[in-house]
Amino acid sequence: MKELRSFFLSPFAFIVMALFAFINAWLFVSTVNAMRVATLPYSLVYSVFASGWFWMGFLFIFPVITMRLFAEEKKTGTFEGLMTAPVRTSEVLIGKYSAAVTVYLAMLVPLFLFFPIFKMVTEQEGAFNNGSLWGSMIALVLVGFFNLAIGTLASAITANQLIAAMLTFVGVMLHYFFGFFMGFTTLPNSKWAAGMSYLSTVEHMQLLSQGLIDSRPFIYYLSFSVFILAITYHIIESRKWRI
Amino acid sequence: MIEVSQLTKRYVGHLAVDNVSFQVEKGEIVGFLGPNGAGKSTTIRMLTCFLTPSSGTASIGGYDIEKDSIKVRRQIGYMPENVPLYPDMRVNEYLRFRAALKGMSSRSLTAGVGEAVETCSLNEVQNKMIATLSKGYRQRVGLADALVTKPDLLILDEPTNGLDPQQIRQFRELIKDLGKRHTIFLSTHILPEVEMTCGRVIIINRGKLKASDTPQNLVRRRLEGGDLVLELNGHSGKAMSAIKEIKGVSSVLEEKTEKGWTRFKITSKGTPDLSERIFDLAVERKWKIRELARHDATLEDAFVDLVKHDIAGKGAEG
Repeated sequence: MKELRSFFLSPFAFIVMALFAFINAWLFVSTVNAMRVATLPYSLVYSVFASGWFWMGFLFIFPVITMRLFAEEKKTGTFEGLMTAPVRTSEVLIGKYSAAVTVYLAMLVPLFLFFPIFKMVTEQEGAFNNGSLWGSMIALVLVGFFNLAIGTLASAITANQLIAAMLTFVGVMLHYFFGFFMGFTTLPNSKWAAGMSYLSTVEHMQLLSQGLIDSRPFIYYLSFSVFILAITYHIIESRKWRI
Repeated sequence: MIEVSQLTKRYVGHLAVDNVSFQVEKGEIVGFLGPNGAGKSTTIRMLTCFLTPSSGTASIGGYDIEKDSIKVRRQIGYMPENVPLYPDMRVNEYLRFRAALKGMSSRSLTAGVGEAVETCSLNEVQNKMIATLSKGYRQRVGLADALVTKPDLLILDEPTNGLDPQQIRQFRELIKDLGKRHTIFLSTHILPEVEMTCGRVIIINRGKLKASDTPQNLVRRRLEGGDLVLELNGHSGKAMSAIKEIKGVSSVLEEKTEKGWTRFKITSKGTPDLSERIFDLAVERKWKIRELARHDATLEDAFVDLVKHDIAGKGAEG
């Protein structure tokens, strides 16, 4: 698909990817250093992914990946050529979304290579177990599906890439912060708090990066991704009827 | 090929396309004419399934634009207004991408793209980035994209917009040539273009169909009457009154040109041609003439007439 190629062809993409890898590498090293100084109650994997620094960088990549998907085509007018070609709207949508997913997965690869490399180099078998590594990997992929869907939706709403990026960022952030509302509400044990925490990225992440894999996050993220993509589909189709 | 019946598109506060019906037969080159904002692009966008009509139907090659949208789109090569392209792709790459998107198999892809490149004389720029191309080349890339899958019908929205006269001429030749293999439906507001390339003209104004005829017929229809120019030496006062007495003359304008010479612009109504009568008159009165010419009405006159009536009518209503 064209998306993928154009993403890898622009220098912008490499800057973003390099930056992301760099931040994570730095984070990784500092976590390892911290562990050397004092014993942490959690594994290396958990410590890396629970850090606020990681999330700062992580949440930024979604708007960057998705902002161009539809917004740019609308702005340049190539959208018209695309939609008048004999392809279904759903095919276009899935094509664009899977391109975004591919780029995202490519960005994750270096991050997950850190751990086995660390193991190989240091021969520290006890730093983390494979379960928690797999768990966090799955969690990041799931969260990614969801956030990329949000980004695709935002990009389909507007013809302005900047607006698309900001909408995505706000959406992704809100979702991320749902988990922290628990701490702010006056009724920490209310149903609301429990509901919020179920929606939160952090909550799922914590469980998964401890190596606890259950079906709830799968169902949650996958169903919501599909739901958001369905809304996106209808938004793209709505241009036909708009008066 | 195209069958449009009572097609209407309503936006908030105005009708962009109002109850338009027309047909285009296979093999025709049809010009779709109208002033800016007349509803040309909206009509075309409905035909290409980019927009859905508020009411009315249209079919292309027998397939309904709403029910069989994919089949309709498969038969159309569409070049949108202003020719949007991906600037960060190379010409070849772009055409291959578009052809694949339109469902061309990877085996026929290379041959198909090669042929389109050949037809549109894009050989030199094949490997250039689209962003670096001139307007003329971009237009040709757009056209190559439209015809890469060899569709039965080419729909071109203002294909010569923004080209220089030389390029317009080249483009016109290209379109004429393509007309031998494809049905062509092109929108434009450049009239000479239509006169030279199209077998038929459909005129639309303010969303309403105004005319659908050959350019020749449209001109002839307007030709009842017409303008004559007469230039003579001396006697201007007497000549003026003599001309006015001829039956059928509705108005005469006088203009002094060089020493002694006067130019008359004579407008007639009803009578087809007054030039013989005026010639006889000149012989009889022994006028020294250096010009007696009939000004044929052009498609432009016909077009302005059709559109002007409408504006006047609107003004009276409002």
